[in-house]
Amino acid sequence: MSAPVLARLYRALLRGYPRTLRDRYGEEMARVFEAGAKDARLRGGLAGLLWFCAGALGDVVRGVISERLRASAAGLRERQVGEEWPVETSIERMHPLEGLWRDVRHGVRSLRRSPAFTVAAVLTMGLGIGANAAIFSVVRAVLLRPLPYEDADRLVMLWGEMTQRNVSNFPWSPPDYLDFRDQTTQLEDVAAVITFAQPLTGDGEPVQVQAGGVTTNFLSVLGVRPALGRDFVTADGEFVEQPAGAPAANAMVILSDVLWRTRYGGDPSVIGRVIDMGGNPGEIVGVAPPDFALHMPAVAGLASTVDLWTALRLDFVNANRNNVFLRVVARLAPGATLASAQQDVSRIAADLRARFVIKETSGLQARLVPLHADLVAPVRPVLLALMGAVVLVLLIACANVANLLLIRSVERERELAVRRALGGSRSRLVRQTLVDSALLSAAGGALGLFLASLGVSAVRFLRPAQLPRITEIELDGTVLAFTAGAAIFSAALFGLVPALRASRPAVTQVLRASGRAPGLALNRVFRDTVIIAEVALSLVLMIGAGLMMRTFSALQRVDHGFDAAGVLTFNVSLGNRFPSPEARRAFRDGFESRLRALPQVTAVASGLPVPLDGTLFHGRWGLAEALTNPQAFRQANYRVVSDGYFEALGITLVEGRVFTRAEIQDSMPVVVVDELMAASAFPGRSAVGERILVRISTPEPVWVEIVGVVKRQRHESPAEPGRENIFFTDRYAGLEGNLTWFVRTAGDPLGLVAGVRQALAAIEPTLPVSDVRPLASFVAQAIAPARFTLTLVATFAVIALVLAVVGLYGVLAYAVKQRTAEIGVRMAFGARASTILRLVVGQGLLLSGIGTVVGMLGALALTRVLASMLVGVSATDTRTYVAIAALFLVVATAASLVPALRAARVQPMRALREE
Amino acid sequence: MIKPRKTGRRPADTEADAMERAAAYLPLGPVAFEVMLSLAGGAQHGYAILRDIEARTGGEVSLHAGTLYRALFRLVEQELVEELEERPSAEADDARRRYYGMTALGRQVAAAEAKRLANRVATARDRKLLRQPRSV
Repeated sequence: MSAPVLARLYRALLRGYPRTLRDRYGEEMARVFEAGAKDARLRGGLAGLLWFCAGALGDVVRGVISERLRASAAGLRERQVGEEWPVETSIERMHPLEGLWRDVRHGVRSLRRSPAFTVAAVLTMGLGIGANAAIFSVVRAVLLRPLPYEDADRLVMLWGEMTQRNVSNFPWSPPDYLDFRDQTTQLEDVAAVITFAQPLTGDGEPVQVQAGGVTTNFLSVLGVRPALGRDFVTADGEFVEQPAGAPAANAMVILSDVLWRTRYGGDPSVIGRVIDMGGNPGEIVGVAPPDFALHMPAVAGLASTVDLWTALRLDFVNANRNNVFLRVVARLAPGATLASAQQDVSRIAADLRARFVIKETSGLQARLVPLHADLVAPVRPVLLALMGAVVLVLLIACANVANLLLIRSVERERELAVRRALGGSRSRLVRQTLVDSALLSAAGGALGLFLASLGVSAVRFLRPAQLPRITEIELDGTVLAFTAGAAIFSAALFGLVPALRASRPAVTQVLRASGRAPGLALNRVFRDTVIIAEVALSLVLMIGAGLMMRTFSALQRVDHGFDAAGVLTFNVSLGNRFPSPEARRAFRDGFESRLRALPQVTAVASGLPVPLDGTLFHGRWGLAEALTNPQAFRQANYRVVSDGYFEALGITLVEGRVFTRAEIQDSMPVVVVDELMAASAFPGRSAVGERILVRISTPEPVWVEIVGVVKRQRHESPAEPGRENIFFTDRYAGLEGNLTWFVRTAGDPLGLVAGVRQALAAIEPTLPVSDVRPLASFVAQAIAPARFTLTLVATFAVIALVLAVVGLYGVLAYAVKQRTAEIGVRMAFGARASTILRLVVGQGLLLSGIGTVVGMLGALALTRVLASMLVGVSATDTRTYVAIAALFLVVATAASLVPALRAARVQPMRALREE
Repeated sequence: MIKPRKTGRRPADTEADAMERAAAYLPLGPVAFEVMLSLAGGAQHGYAILRDIEARTGGEVSLHAGTLYRALFRLVEQELVEELEERPSAEADDARRRYYGMTALGRQVAAAEAKRLANRVATARDRKLLRQPRSV
């Protein structure tokens, strides 16, 4: 957490001080706090900082209370009045605010007199409010705040849908894009984007950066203007026909702020400079603003951080309609609605279907989705479920504090009765209890804010994959207002019942000799209901956490079909360095043999895409029938691999054989397929030797022969098997040298990095090595969302469990206290300690038993929201339910044992004498 | 806490008078005394006072901002400490910070407090709670 955020929180807390002190020294205190925080962080790390903040919080609370008491004591002396609690006759003549202030003072004093109660209540509220503020700040940054583009709610994504092949979120080809851009009447403008790796050479160390290739109107569609230089103009994207051998036309480039500052030293004179982009010239025309980021739905498979933008110089008109790669974003025209624009693009899609057979047979549709909704679609259900979970936690916390207040209100019954008897008006007594509640929830809110700031730093630190806009998460004014609202809401909720009770103390009963308040039957029912609700609510959360835990362990045990351990992956982007296939091949073979010569390396291969990295190559396949009926084509994932890929990744061959060297060198039309593909195409018989129609490097589908079948691999997600896979050789696909490298080692994959760089530098010093990662990290990244959800749900479940147990303990302890006399009588008449023990534990178990049953029913209804995230376990999994319920009852028994043992130790004589 | 009469600044007549006047402020609170001890070495800004106290006491006394400034607020109110107009030295200066220094009265009060405490320490020695300091 950054020091300025803490300092802002600290400044907010300083508001508690009286004005005179704050005006004079507030600013200085905040500065000293900030310096101290920095110092504590330097000396003691995060733990040191936390310790310091905790101390500072305590210091402020102590200081505020004592300054306020001092101020009011001074006021009292001036008026020459002093009394333990406010005497109503003098109060009524006071200014109303002054009366309120006395209530506050009286409240603070009485809370200080019962520190255990106060600490328990403030901690409870702090946990509840803190959890809410933390999750709300995430919900606000991710779901509620508009995207940082101009009129962001008018931006839409344009997706292709191949309804006949069950493929959605499909990109577009350049001519398709042109058709939409030129024929639409409901879209103001239409832009397209792709991202790709781009080597930068020439200025020092060669590096590989992420480039965003865009149509020239891309920035203007988003409403973003360059901070420096100019935006792209139409001429920047014009396709220039090059005679063979002539130098390529300059690519026009807008740098990201980060790249501008790091590689070009933030020098404004870079505008107009020509740079070497992996053998092609690029001309810098502008620098993007610092806060500009590409926020696109994860399914688009675009890089989230882009280092430079370049205007695509494509032959948009004549490009192949079957090569689809453009992600299209558009702005609704003034007056257009999503529905009218959808109608518009549907009309254009219908026209495309009429003109191109393949689009008709694949059932191509165009679908518009608001950009923001599309971006957050994968995380929205989780975030809403979390918000629900923390509201439950807050309700539990409120129930607990209401319970504590009720118990206390019985203890204070005498005080209230005396005040009532002395003429205190009912409204004054109610006001006093409400002020007590407000004080508790204000303190709880302050603590909650502190906990929330810790939580927000934790979220930003964990960086859960797939959570967009994570850097924008912060505790801002809206979150502060939300927290205040939550605190007020809680105060009203848990303060109401005790307040109503305070309005009618049983004056005569209480003031009689013994002063013992009768335990009203109604109260007992209320308290029991509260406990049952707490148990039920926390059980729902615990069952959710249990299911997520099963999911997580199932995900970790999943057989991915390949062995990720010990494999290092990296890219060498060739750019334009080797224009001819022969040169690329020579580079590839030379580099590969150098890699093989590295110590401990056992296998080297290359392939694309990397399993579980989130990208897929969609392709189609068909049997003879598809030649006459294009609708018979079906969808599969294409994968391109080099010689030795299956061995290097430990993929099991099920049938047939893998590619031979001769097949690879002669680009023979052969493929390897996975089991699912074999079963789909040739059910009930061997697929080896059969032929299928595919299209990867040819304009139209051609026949290829299946030479082998390999075991299924989880390429798309560890959670589900995914689609059929077809493997092509790199030479057949025309991609050799441009694939991701896989190097298997007997040792630590990261230990290879230096060797890999040296091997490349030895043969080709101008090319950068990039994206160096162990293959296992892709697996870890793929289960990261489940890990994050598990962490969160489990955190809240533990909080809820602690609250429920504290609540249960409180109720039983109070019951034992009230029934001391009864227990004494029972023991005097010969009841054994074990009988008393059973009595109290039995009461606890009865309450938690009922709560458990209610909670299980609630979980059956509510865990359905988790269903989409569960893997290897159903939302109604009996074993999880039973295990969690059993665990809960064990904990409940433990919580009941403490007051039960106290009851069993009651000495009959003393108990009776006190009565 | 009893707020002593505001004495203003008048010329110190005799030492006895001064001691008597200073006595009205005793005992100083522990925090106030630590602050005065720090300022006895010269004017300082707030954070420097904190660090000085921490260093002097070997970390035994470690104050937070609130406690420090509440004490300073009282000390300034009682005119034992004043906010300085001029800065102690050009190179150590930081324009954003306020510097605090002892008033003449403050120095007397701090001395009186130190003397009071020294009396207690002497008593402790007499009663063998503390060993005698080695003779030089």
